Amino acid sequence: MLEALLRDNVPVLVQGISGRAGRQHALQMQAAGTNIVGGIASPGARNTEGPPGIPVFADCAAAVAATGARASVALVPPLQALDAATEALEAGIELLVSVTEGMPVHDAIKARTLARARGATWIGPSTPGLAVPGRIKMGFLPEVALRPGQIGVMSKSGTLSYETCYRLVQQGMGQSLWVGVGGDPVKGTRFADLLPLFARHAGTRALLLIGEIGGTEEEEFAAAVTALPFDKPVHAVLAGASAREGVTMGHAGALIQGGLGTHASKSTALAAAGVQVHSSINELVSAMRRSLA
Amino acid sequence: MLLLEHDAKTLLARSGIAVPPGVLIESADALATAELPPGPWVVKAQVPVGGRGKAGAIRLVNDQAGLARAITEIGAMRVKGHVVRGCRVESQASGQEAFLSFAIDATAGAVRMLFSPEGGVDIESAAPGSLLSLAVPLDLAAMRAALPRLVEGAPAHLAAAVLQAGTQLAELFIRYEALLLEINPLFVAADGNWMAGDARMAIDESALPRQSELLALISAREAAYADGLFKYREGFDYIALDPDGEIGLITTGAGLSMKIIDDLSAAGEKPFNFVDIRSGQFRGDPARLITVLRAIAQGPKVRVVLVNIFAGITHLGEFARLLATALSAVPEMRAPVVARLVGNGLDDARATLAQITPSIELEVDLDKALAKVLQLARQAPEPARA
Repeated sequence: MLEALLRDNVPVLVQGISGRAGRQHALQMQAAGTNIVGGIASPGARNTEGPPGIPVFADCAAAVAATGARASVALVPPLQALDAATEALEAGIELLVSVTEGMPVHDAIKARTLARARGATWIGPSTPGLAVPGRIKMGFLPEVALRPGQIGVMSKSGTLSYETCYRLVQQGMGQSLWVGVGGDPVKGTRFADLLPLFARHAGTRALLLIGEIGGTEEEEFAAAVTALPFDKPVHAVLAGASAREGVTMGHAGALIQGGLGTHASKSTALAAAGVQVHSSINELVSAMRRSLA
Repeated sequence: MLLLEHDAKTLLARSGIAVPPGVLIESADALATAELPPGPWVVKAQVPVGGRGKAGAIRLVNDQAGLARAITEIGAMRVKGHVVRGCRVESQASGQEAFLSFAIDATAGAVRMLFSPEGGVDIESAAPGSLLSLAVPLDLAAMRAALPRLVEGAPAHLAAAVLQAGTQLAELFIRYEALLLEINPLFVAADGNWMAGDARMAIDESALPRQSELLALISAREAAYADGLFKYREGFDYIALDPDGEIGLITTGAGLSMKIIDDLSAAGEKPFNFVDIRSGQFRGDPARLITVLRAIAQGPKVRVVLVNIFAGITHLGEFARLLATALSAVPEMRAPVVARLVGNGLDDARATLAQITPSIELEVDLDKALAKVLQLARQAPEPARA
């Protein structure tokens, strides 16, 4: 379903549109070109109205029936994230972005299982979302870091990707598709899941992977790159070189445990797969310029 | 968040799972008045990391003198950087040592169930094929149904013990929304009786709002779970990294904050703290800034504070006013402040800071800000203390 974002004017819902963040971000997504066709009020909220001009529906099923929406962004509190995902997926939503931070892990497993059973793509949780700059934005990636371009971006971290893309944009290098996969351990879409799409997409000439300690996602990505005939340059920046075992560094997934998930393990695996791992953002910007020259 | 073994065993015992009798001893002095279980004993450091045995933080002792010595010596250790705040003293147990573990497998989106008839310290180097592994849907019935497959081929007394233990542990795993529940060793006697010799249990901080029993358990042990409790109460992450740290950080975003710490560490400097202050959630309230400034002001060696805000949503003018308010509310914070701000309202922020707190150095480029921080950390005299 991500592929459709690159060519179609995909109709999008906003779940939690009557909340403070929902109203604000619905308008900003619209301003970024997103075809917002409707919203669903925040569960239990007193205010049930969205911003002017965007119809609010009783639930996802009603919204999909009335608007033909295919995608949804859920801006709901953590303990409501599973219900929101279930409602969207059962209504036939094909692409769901959950920005929620702090979704319980057992809930995330259930949402992931349901998305897979329905053949839907789930992005998140704990993500600033995704964007095809100039065309669509689902979530709240900052405009100052967005620009249409040729880099496929995937990131576990919001801010580190903002900083990196902001500097690339200052040097004239923008993104073809930017997906924040999120900082939680259990998520809908992992780095390796995005590789086939970036391999096929002619408008993507290089990849930027922004990883961090914890889990095995970077190692899985390295294995996937090795397994595919993938000939586009891949650049990576990894956070957490100085992190101690047993300390969760902000993101729920950023935790070294039992010697697993270390910076060294990721860096070694990626380098062995031909990925250029950079220790500074400036170094990465220079190398990316050479890749796109 | 990994529970201390003592707390994990408390949960197990409450659910009727057999564990060796034991007590938590937090100092050698406390030993005199403790109601000890029958000896001989095993003394185990209570730290939130594995590898205690290899680190020498688990000892077998036979008498009172050995017990006092072990508690004093282990109490003075650090295990993988973690201060030992107490030891569990428990009766030595024995039997065949098996390994049983349930863990969230993020890659598979399932529960990974592992069993080996040969447990012990070196499970990582278990003989190939001796560690049985199944990925099972996160569901109590599915986990229980998978147990017979997990123990297929094991001797009857062992299989029976693991089926029984696994049934009880699966219920615990689901009820407490565990991320990991590992019993190594699981002591199994020839008659099929069993006991959890160790318990490694990781809980989900995100589930705490609906896990009142877990919340009560960790709230009773403030020092051991300081980071997790802070996040639960304050809604953002703050981690004390190094009491002798020289650079205080007020930064937003976990990934970028981590990278800044990496860069400062690589340059040979010692960051005092990690924080993801989430400026987008301030809503006009300087409370978070004041909390973090107060914490940093406690650092006796802090020589400079770096503020880094990449504002996607936050208006920098408003942020600058909140920062100025917070600084005036924390007069004990005397180290110089370098602020790196990017995003909406930069001109407003510049004007605000120039007017209210001209001592703050404002930078737009992160590398320049870091260079300035390094320069100040290396040149500034020790801050004067009242």
